[in-house]
Amino acid sequence: MGTTGTTILVIDDNPVNLKLASEVLLADGFTVIGAEDAEQALRLLETLMPDLVLTDIALPRMDGLALTRWLKADPRYSHLPVVALTASAMKGDEARVLEAGCDAYIAKPIDTRTLSAQIMRLIRVRPATT
Amino acid sequence: MGSGLSGGGVADAVIAADLQGRVLLWNSQAESVFGYSAAESIGRSLKDLLLAGERDSEPPLTDAPCVYEALRRRKDGGLLYVNVSRTVSLENSDGARQVLYSKRDVTHLKVARDAKLVETRFGALLESTPDATLIVNAMGRIVLANSQAARAFAYDPNELIGQPVEVLLPERFRTSHVGHRSLFSQQPRTRTMGEGLELFGRRRDGYEFPVEISLSPLSTDEGTMVMSAVRDITDRKKAEQKFRGLLESAPDAMVIVARNGRIALVNSQLERLFGYPREELLGQSVDCLVPARYRGHHERHRTGFFSQPRARAMGAGLELYGQRRDGSEFPVEISLSPLETEEGLFVSGAIRDATERRRFEQTLQDASRLKSEFLATMSHELRTPLNGIIGFSEFLIDEKAGALNARQKEYLTDVLASGRHLLRLINDVLDLSKIEAGRMDIVAERFDLASAVDEVCGVVSPIARSKSISLVRHVSEEVAQVILDRHRFVQILYNLLSNAIKFTNTAGEVNLSLDREGDMLRLQVRDTGIGISPENLQKLFLEFQQLDSGTGRRHDGTGLGLVLTKRLAELQHGSVRVESEVGKGSVFTVQLPLVAAPG
Repeated sequence: MGTTGTTILVIDDNPVNLKLASEVLLADGFTVIGAEDAEQALRLLETLMPDLVLTDIALPRMDGLALTRWLKADPRYSHLPVVALTASAMKGDEARVLEAGCDAYIAKPIDTRTLSAQIMRLIRVRPATT
Repeated sequence: MGSGLSGGGVADAVIAADLQGRVLLWNSQAESVFGYSAAESIGRSLKDLLLAGERDSEPPLTDAPCVYEALRRRKDGGLLYVNVSRTVSLENSDGARQVLYSKRDVTHLKVARDAKLVETRFGALLESTPDATLIVNAMGRIVLANSQAARAFAYDPNELIGQPVEVLLPERFRTSHVGHRSLFSQQPRTRTMGEGLELFGRRRDGYEFPVEISLSPLSTDEGTMVMSAVRDITDRKKAEQKFRGLLESAPDAMVIVARNGRIALVNSQLERLFGYPREELLGQSVDCLVPARYRGHHERHRTGFFSQPRARAMGAGLELYGQRRDGSEFPVEISLSPLETEEGLFVSGAIRDATERRRFEQTLQDASRLKSEFLATMSHELRTPLNGIIGFSEFLIDEKAGALNARQKEYLTDVLASGRHLLRLINDVLDLSKIEAGRMDIVAERFDLASAVDEVCGVVSPIARSKSISLVRHVSEEVAQVILDRHRFVQILYNLLSNAIKFTNTAGEVNLSLDREGDMLRLQVRDTGIGISPENLQKLFLEFQQLDSGTGRRHDGTGLGLVLTKRLAELQHGSVRVESEVGKGSVFTVQLPLVAAPG
């Protein structure tokens, strides 16, 4: 799948869901870094640069949309593709997610069989050039 | 007129007055004829005492004795006709002169004369009128009664002649009637007697009955008389009574209003509802029951109603308010009906206090909203753990965490299927609650029907293939593109196709067609499945009513799919209908506009 060497930052406050996304991506060859909230993610981003951020929307304190806005407003990270995990594939959610600057969204529950392919497609469409 | 009684006989009332008309002498006969005692008469003006009307027929005062007839009033107000002989005396010792009157009551003679006159002139005419008709002379004596009148009052016609007209009245009204009568004689004009009052006649046997009386003045050689037509309104009163009874038995407050907006009738429910005693409402404008800010509109609407009278609810779709006597307002519902009566067109209004109903509706709305909010939150919360259940099941089944034996794989597949089933259930509940809460937004977009059909068939075809069911589809060129909520369209199509496949036995056929029908899109799913019995057809679109297929087998489904399908179609101004025959199969037809109406 050509995922080797591609790093994904996964953010989800639910430890089981964080573990699931991480395991699925790991099994498909990605390098995965996990964070349980936006603050932790931002701290991690100070020292490493992933190829894509996969974030849950409903996070405590700073939610996924706020995190996205933050990243998109910072020139260091504005190029980073951000994919939102939405709880429901509702039209309203989609609009909110895209408005906040997310590059795409994936509806939960995630499809473990296609998740990696979906993510690779996004990285190819928008290569993480520096 | 016996000659022995003429001129100063003992039977005569003798009165002496000065030239200014002040009474000097009043004999006992005068007392009995006119009702005034000597003590109360002496010193007073004759005019004040005895003059009946505005005109007096007394000839100008001269020295010559004269004889004349005149109408006079008794102390009790009753009128009598007198024959008067008048003499002016010579100066007495003080140089003053007196006028001497000798008066005899000749009322009966006058009645006889009047009766003869009117019998000749009006007798035949009055016999031919349907109403009981009387002619009453200036003294209030009956001088003509047609046979209808005699019958109505149970007298012989001749018996009535000469009687004061008051004999035809209940005793309690007699005194006041004498007063009314003299008022009429002062300003005679054709009119209805006692308008707005309840009038009664009294038969000879004392039986009373309600009447309506119209009065007309009659000018004759013997002076002005009054013709009264009396109508027995017992039947009408009975009908009214029935009507009132009907009004009283109505559960609602009722008000009957005339064209001019005046209240003609109310029932006691209305008295209670608005806090007015009946007497205060009758004759008032009905606007007093309406809060001031609506009165202008109300008058216009009322005029509108009378120009196009038909039974209807007032202000359909509006919140209406009534105003109580104490000024407080309350919500009402009102239905109006035209009411044709002998007295013209009225409107009857049934008014219901809607306070409880509106409160109840509000409570229901609140409850429904809370329920929907609860379901939406719950659905969201329930999905989060399902993400782990479904995801890790898939992960394990795919042996990404190591090899599984056959039983492990089978059971994990069951966990996955159960998880997915639960997810569908939650999604359907969430969608339904959104629709019920009015929060399901329809987002219309232009899309190719074929691509949406491909998408759904891609999901259901494997299931069809596994049961050897042939899935035939046809998309008409005419409906290549539509403007609808694509996501909801896909949901509807998925529900119908997966149902059809689910309930069709091996080697059957499921046929999907999409055509144009007028400006609607017609989506039809026809299967050769087990069919639906007529009684089950009725339950088809109810929540959680998965039907008993008759085979004892429960089918894998949420029991919400068709409900949701129907609601989703209706939300887009479409409809769903079904025809089915047990053992033959079912046809589900969805109609949707080709272009979704905005919002």
